[in-house]
Amino acid sequence: MTASTPLTQRKAPSIPFLHRALQSHSFMAYLYILPSLVVLSFVVAYPIFYTILLGFYSTPAISPDRYWVGLSNYIDLLRSRTFWETTQNTLYWTIPSTIGAFLLGVPAALALNQPLLGRSLLRSIFLIPWVISTVAAAYVWRWLYHSDFGLLNGYLMAWGIIQRPLLFLDSTNLVIPSLVIVNVWKTFPFVMVMTLAGLQAVPSELLEAASIDGAGTVRRFFAITLPYLRNVFLITFLLLFISNLEHFTIPWLMTGGGPARASQIWAIDIYTTAFRGLEFGLASAYSTLVFAIVLLFATVYVRLLTRREGVEA
Amino acid sequence: MHRRTFLRFTALSAVSLLATACSTAGTAPTPTMDSSPTPTPTIPTPTPKVTPQTTELAQKPLDLSKWNPDYVREIAGSLPTFDTKAFVSNIVPLSTTGELYYWYIGPAEPDPQITKDLDKQFWEIWSSTYPNIRTEKQSLTYADMLDKIRTAATGRAAPMVATMPIMWGVEFAAKGHLAEIQLEEFGFSENDFWPGALKSCKWQGKLYGVPTNNECMALIYNKQLFRDAGLDPDQPPKTWEEVVTFSKQIKEATGKYGYGLVARLNHGNTPFRFMPVVWAYGSGAFDEAEDNPTYDQVLINNEGGLAALEVYYNMFVRDQSVPSAALTNTNAENTDLFFAGQLGMYIGHPSEYAAMVDRARKATGADRERAEQLLANIGYALLPEGPVRRAAVFGGSNIHIFADHVVRGGKVDRQAARAFIAFRCSPEWSIKAVWTASNPGNLQAFRTTWMKERLEQIKFLEVTTAMLKYGVPFPVVPESPQIMNIIVPEMIHNALTRKMTIKEAADDAAEKIRALMRQRVS
Repeated sequence: MTASTPLTQRKAPSIPFLHRALQSHSFMAYLYILPSLVVLSFVVAYPIFYTILLGFYSTPAISPDRYWVGLSNYIDLLRSRTFWETTQNTLYWTIPSTIGAFLLGVPAALALNQPLLGRSLLRSIFLIPWVISTVAAAYVWRWLYHSDFGLLNGYLMAWGIIQRPLLFLDSTNLVIPSLVIVNVWKTFPFVMVMTLAGLQAVPSELLEAASIDGAGTVRRFFAITLPYLRNVFLITFLLLFISNLEHFTIPWLMTGGGPARASQIWAIDIYTTAFRGLEFGLASAYSTLVFAIVLLFATVYVRLLTRREGVEA
Repeated sequence: MHRRTFLRFTALSAVSLLATACSTAGTAPTPTMDSSPTPTPTIPTPTPKVTPQTTELAQKPLDLSKWNPDYVREIAGSLPTFDTKAFVSNIVPLSTTGELYYWYIGPAEPDPQITKDLDKQFWEIWSSTYPNIRTEKQSLTYADMLDKIRTAATGRAAPMVATMPIMWGVEFAAKGHLAEIQLEEFGFSENDFWPGALKSCKWQGKLYGVPTNNECMALIYNKQLFRDAGLDPDQPPKTWEEVVTFSKQIKEATGKYGYGLVARLNHGNTPFRFMPVVWAYGSGAFDEAEDNPTYDQVLINNEGGLAALEVYYNMFVRDQSVPSAALTNTNAENTDLFFAGQLGMYIGHPSEYAAMVDRARKATGADRERAEQLLANIGYALLPEGPVRRAAVFGGSNIHIFADHVVRGGKVDRQAARAFIAFRCSPEWSIKAVWTASNPGNLQAFRTTWMKERLEQIKFLEVTTAMLKYGVPFPVVPESPQIMNIIVPEMIHNALTRKMTIKEAADDAAEKIRALMRQRVS
């Protein structure tokens, strides 16, 4: 290239590329989300990467250094009896909590979708458990359940239903069911709101036509409403299930994982391993394992959802 | 030089000691105190200053072997005054220029007004004493501080100086995050502090902190419930076996709970109340209750450990004389039960009486009447003893200097740090900074007139102060938080829920402690 070459000619090869790129919608889209990506890479990607990395190290409380142990933390974890007990507790907590929220939330949504007197007020009232602070709710329920001066035991004994207080939170058998009731109470409005939103998409003409054709309420629900709600249910179930798998606040504040670890679920176990036991390497491996399990559930459900959408399309 | 001056100055106390020595005949500790009304704590009275140079008598260390409620009262006020400014000027010149980043657990909203006022006063006087040391302070809560300070130290953003609860320092010392210190560089000597407190500041023979305050718990009991149960209200239980017996008797006779057992998982309240029983029976996580512990051998499942666990088992499972919710209760629930007249005895903090007075004042109508009746019937006693010893957890805080490589800016201003620690741990601020909540770390503060004022204002203070003699620090090993917060409470739960037998639960705990110690990198 000589000095006399015109400027336009020299830059010519790059311009079409830039031009094409700038014209490309995807390129512009990437450009728009770049700031978010940069922020997320610092506050999400880096901690995830670092946690995964730390899972391969031993971090003894006695030393400022960390020591490479490969998969030892994972092996120790999977071999430990307490991990499997905790997993069992986590499932015992998650599955009934999720199903319970649906059993309460869906009928509530169906009822509140009807033209009732004071419907808006009722919808607001039903939302109260969802909007109040989880910490406040946990403390209030702890007092309600309290074995010595709880309101529930007080009433049950006053009515002569029981002779001795029920140990809602202090019995290894009753603790998880008692916590599940609190969680169902706290999360059913979420299912209700999502279902109510889904119900707005059900065409009223279809329901009216089915009604004219002689279909009853139950038939209309299963033949028309339910198929329309399927995607909403899947998304809601997925979100609630994952959120319950990772839940921490209610059991931690109400029982601290006790009695005798009967309400020790994954999140509490990870927290105590890291911040009470100072085993950050083991806790990181634990977190990574739970992260992978949650990711697996998320992937399965998202795939299921996508496939159904494809079929329906 | 500065140390000598300080010693000369504090020696004024010898006059009073000589005067009281004859009457202090080493009498046995009086376990109970009367329940006459007590004034509300107020700001300490300003006293005329005497510079260290004005004292001529040699300092005489406190006789810790005589430590009991009577001795605590006798020595209070024997050192008429103390000029902190003159004292610290001998350590670091008052004209020193520098900067200091300091973290501590400061007053919180529920704290009494006096605590907030004294904190404010502390900072004002510090600024006027060293006007050229720019100080940046951060007041944190107990719940937040440990995680924040760990993160900060790992991220090379630790403060230069921090006051931390007694059990935390060793973790940072073991990791090389703290700077080694000598007491003499702050004008102190070993005689100025409880041996147990100094033990908690040491790691592998080196000193990493100075005790700021120390406290031990006591047994609080309801004399009316004792009367109702046919027990002598002036004879609280002297042994843990008596606690079990009295608890059962109270439950059977009154229907109220006898003893406030606390065993919540992952909660500090649990080991603070269980380890005194373990130590009383001659056990421990290790040999931490001995004078020179080595922490080499796990003792939790020895005969003493089993006996201690049996004390809990008998009250919770066999006699059912303790709250049914003991496994999830914290001490807060016990305080409520006690305040409502539903609990006979519990282990409580020195400041709990003041808190109950505060609650009674806020009550109205019949509640107030009941609260006042309760206050009139409260008794404080030394924690019961076991076959081997009487023991309580030695609590409190220590002040530390962080190592250069973990602090913000990479360099600690050692002169500023020295000036601050000398000031904060001086007899004056050692006592004023913890007026209602604890006891001074500096033993000389017990001789001041401020201590005398506190004894007049804070009821039962002499009992909780007397317990210091029996204080045992938790094992000074970095693994202590895991042992005390996880392993010990789980052991109690395994036994009390009958998931395991007492022996199996203790053996399981011992194995967990051993496994934890094996993880150490040689």
